[in-house]
Amino acid sequence: MSSTTAVDVVMPQMGVSVSEGTITKWSKQVGDHIEADETLLEISTDKVDTEVPSPASGVVTEILVPEGETVEVGTVLARIGGEGAAPAAPPAPEPATQPAADAAEASASEGQAPAAEVGDTAPSGNGKSFISPVVARIASEHGIDPSQVPGTGNGGRVTKRDIQAFIDSGASQAAPAQPEPAQAAPPPPAPAEAVAPAPPAPAPAPVTAQAPTPAQASQEAAPPGLGETFEPMSAMRRGIAEHMRRSLDTSAHVTSAIEVDMSRVVQIREKLKKEFQSAYGVNPTYLAFIARAATETLRDYPWVNGELRGDKIVTRNYVNLGFAVELADGKGLIVPVVKNAETLNLLGMAKSIADIAKRARDKQLAPDDVTGGTFTITNPGGYGTFLGTPEISQPQAGILGTYAIVKRPSVITDENGTDAIAIRSMMNLTLTYDHRLVDGAYAGRFLRDLRERLQTWGESDY
Amino acid sequence: MAERTYLQAISDGLREEMRRDERVFVLGEDVGVYGGAFKVTLGFQEEFGSWRVLDMPLSETAIMGGATGAAIMGMRPVAEMQFADFVSCAWDHLVTIAAKQRWRAGTPVPIVLRLPSGGGFSGGPFHSQNPESSFAHIPGLKCVCPATPEDAKGLIVAAIEDPNPVLFFEHKHLYRRIKGEVPDERYVTPIGKARIHQEGEEVTIITWGAMVYTAEEAAKQLPDSSIEIVDLRTVMPWDKEAVLASARKTSKVLVLHEDTRTGGFGGEIAATIAEEAFEDLDAPVRRIAAPDTPVPFSPVLEKAFIPQVDDVVRGLKELIAY
Amino acid sequence: MAIARVAEPSGSLQDVKEWGLDREDLFTIYRNMLVTRGVEERGHILYRQGKIPGSFYTGRGNEASAVGVATAMGTDDVGTPLHRDMGVHITRGVEPWRIFAQYMGRADGPTHGRDGNVHMADERLGLIAMVSHLPAMLPVAVGAALAFRIREEKRVAVAWSGEGAMQRGDAHEGMNFAGVRKLPVVFICDNNQWAYSTPSHLEYAVEHLADRAQAYGFDGVVVDGTDVLAVYREAKYAIEKARDGGGPTLIECQTLRMEGHAVHDDAFYVPKELFEKWAERDPIERYRAWLQHNVDMTDEDENEITVQVKKLLNDSLQRAEESPQPDPSTLLEGVYATPDDLDTPHHK
Repeated sequence: MSSTTAVDVVMPQMGVSVSEGTITKWSKQVGDHIEADETLLEISTDKVDTEVPSPASGVVTEILVPEGETVEVGTVLARIGGEGAAPAAPPAPEPATQPAADAAEASASEGQAPAAEVGDTAPSGNGKSFISPVVARIASEHGIDPSQVPGTGNGGRVTKRDIQAFIDSGASQAAPAQPEPAQAAPPPPAPAEAVAPAPPAPAPAPVTAQAPTPAQASQEAAPPGLGETFEPMSAMRRGIAEHMRRSLDTSAHVTSAIEVDMSRVVQIREKLKKEFQSAYGVNPTYLAFIARAATETLRDYPWVNGELRGDKIVTRNYVNLGFAVELADGKGLIVPVVKNAETLNLLGMAKSIADIAKRARDKQLAPDDVTGGTFTITNPGGYGTFLGTPEISQPQAGILGTYAIVKRPSVITDENGTDAIAIRSMMNLTLTYDHRLVDGAYAGRFLRDLRERLQTWGESDY
Repeated sequence: MAERTYLQAISDGLREEMRRDERVFVLGEDVGVYGGAFKVTLGFQEEFGSWRVLDMPLSETAIMGGATGAAIMGMRPVAEMQFADFVSCAWDHLVTIAAKQRWRAGTPVPIVLRLPSGGGFSGGPFHSQNPESSFAHIPGLKCVCPATPEDAKGLIVAAIEDPNPVLFFEHKHLYRRIKGEVPDERYVTPIGKARIHQEGEEVTIITWGAMVYTAEEAAKQLPDSSIEIVDLRTVMPWDKEAVLASARKTSKVLVLHEDTRTGGFGGEIAATIAEEAFEDLDAPVRRIAAPDTPVPFSPVLEKAFIPQVDDVVRGLKELIAY
Repeated sequence: MAIARVAEPSGSLQDVKEWGLDREDLFTIYRNMLVTRGVEERGHILYRQGKIPGSFYTGRGNEASAVGVATAMGTDDVGTPLHRDMGVHITRGVEPWRIFAQYMGRADGPTHGRDGNVHMADERLGLIAMVSHLPAMLPVAVGAALAFRIREEKRVAVAWSGEGAMQRGDAHEGMNFAGVRKLPVVFICDNNQWAYSTPSHLEYAVEHLADRAQAYGFDGVVVDGTDVLAVYREAKYAIEKARDGGGPTLIECQTLRMEGHAVHDDAFYVPKELFEKWAERDPIERYRAWLQHNVDMTDEDENEITVQVKKLLNDSLQRAEESPQPDPSTLLEGVYATPDDLDTPHHK
């Protein structure tokens, strides 16, 4: 069919996961006539190399992308026909890149998760967003976000059976819904390791009630290839995936690191261990020391404990400290929160941490225990890692990473100015902060002050 | 135990009560010499005499008013409307006097009114109705609708025993079609208590009367689904607890009755479930009932009127898939 | 063309004695008529004072008919009196204070506030509470008679109806059944010539309603409803006939409704002359004259009775006014009867 209006030839999507393609060969030149379905060009994608048939008959009036160039799916590559059907001049490089740039922008914005607002009940990947009364009730009683549950009802609705099966399968850990409800079913975290501070955790990803984006979630996987097996994503995994992606897309993540001499803390801890154990039945972990010091330091750096909400900066007169906890089966993590940590001394902090660790182990965390955090501490160093770049738990502004305490030779200067080599217990700390709110210098000062507190911990400091 | 038809069970229950209590007597049209239009009282007049099995004039007022007066004076009349449809002629005495006398004047009126009801055999508009909802609406009356022979016997005994006016809806289409094991001895089926006809997990059907069998058939056609059928047995006072328990269990409810839809008793049940088990519902409460017309005569039309097995199957499927 | 028998007027004391009434009985009849009128007159006042809610009906002019029939009833007989038949309640022994309590909707009235005006009855006195639908109670009375017949008890039911109410199917169906089975029931028709504003000639086409009895296979009698002794005589005869298995009788008592249908009705549609004519035949005045003439009732005798009645009414009124209002929280009780409710003399 002939066209008098130009017909666009676009980069096809050769495969569900393909997002771009490379022009390998133009079979026609500008000015050539082509029939519909006749091969116009050849492309290469990471899935397949293929020929692209012309969508129309007519004269090739424009070729916009040269051979060898890679463009996003949907980019206009050429035009057929058009007014006068006279061949147009080959497009200048700028115009050529323009569509590509446009397309790149377009797809970039597509790729971005629509900012999920607090309390947003955007349709989950389950399809129908309708939650029936009984499902709503069961969800609230178990602290489950129904959008995390695979639905088999009409249009993918979550049915009562679906959510019951979900609960029975034990996949209902964490993921507390925002509002009130009864009890959550959180998982057992790994018990505290010997040296490393408290429960180890890779990266924090408190699973909040935010829904995964429709675009991502509704993508269907192509069937497994040879040598591949499929397993379904658990709701928790989905939640983590969504949160991780969104967190990176939301905050401007920057990480600063500092080295801390923990020798003093080690010393004091040794002394306190026995006393705390016998008098209070609690172990003063390194995490407790760090948490105490961090809470104090946050007082002077409110933005690290703050939040960017819309165009407002939120600061608080309290600290709700989250602790990233790995689940026993290694299939996810949870971040219980110690509320009003600023009111706790070392003993109180140690007790609180022990309590939430126990409750996390015994699956007795309530939804209230995993929401409302203002700052988080995570320990990627549980397995010996000395540095990491944790992700911020939205909507917070910072996360403190603790790492393995390792005995190292270190230069220390005595009061006379003499240098000597000593064996010191050294530990790295990272502060990952949202650079939209917190600048590097601010973060650096925070770390400096935190280090100072830890390194000069007084024996009578509690 | 013996296998009896639904009709025989009613007859047995009534006869045994008449033997047991001389205050019990039967009055209606053609109940004596003829044994009743459906032969429920066949042989009764021979056994009990013409003053305990009264062939009444063609006068529902005399039957109903007469029963009321006799009951106030200490008798236990079991009156019969030849067809439930004729109860409209007796409405006044039933609703104005019998229903209200206890509440307003402290005088109990222990009567039973037997009402051969229901359609399915081309009875036409005046021989096929199910008027239970009209009377369930009147405070002071009780309405029972047995579906099984066992319940029919137990409930006629219970109705006679009850000190209130009890309307006994006996479904004509069950009379001879349905047989069942019936205990020989005297027993009382409690008025106001439902019976689980079959247990299930996925969806509940609340129903009564002949529709119990329609529900059963429909469930059989969905063997992969777990369907619970609750036979209300008494429409007033109805077993709210049992219905709500089932609704909470399956979270999906279908109310099925042969009576017409608008103002049919299913509306009361559905509204109550919505009010009191809202947070246990996984789907809206559905009703399947006859359309809002008089009962048609021609078999083709009647089939389109009375809820059929297919209708129920369709309704169940929709609910299950919801 | 009349078919029913017209009753003779009351006779001398001698006749009365033959019917079984002694001097005591005759004064009792008088007292009952006075109390009946007194209760209704007081009630009338209370109503206009706003102390009686709803509507208020009287049977002024019907006292003889009501008291006459009730006096003829046996202790174990039952009846379904209507709103013109306060005299039946009084004669059977209902205490006036409870009647006032009933009028005022108090908790101690026979219906405990649940029904009003004369929709009441004391079951122990053999009375069954009426309803507004008339004459719905007629087939019910027939049903009572049916029970007596089945049980072969020597008891009689008395069914009241007005001349308007007689036009409904209930009357026909009830009387027909009673006639068919020769049940022990006596039908009293209070013909007071006006059904609300509708005169008799617009209610029925025959000369006497009692004529219809023949259509049902039994006798009808027309009697002067203002002549209490004549009413008594006819009622007694019919009741005993029924008791002996002679079947029903329809007695038509003729009178005039001396007031409106209810207190709110001033009966403008009744010709003044009619009121004047029947005022001369006021039942109480007639009987008073008869007593003075035939039984030597002295002024003292009369005075004594009048004073007693007055005191009774005053005390009753006071007692009723002091009695409590019903408790709304009890509203839902008793919709259904329990087996305990069957513990009545009738249900043994």
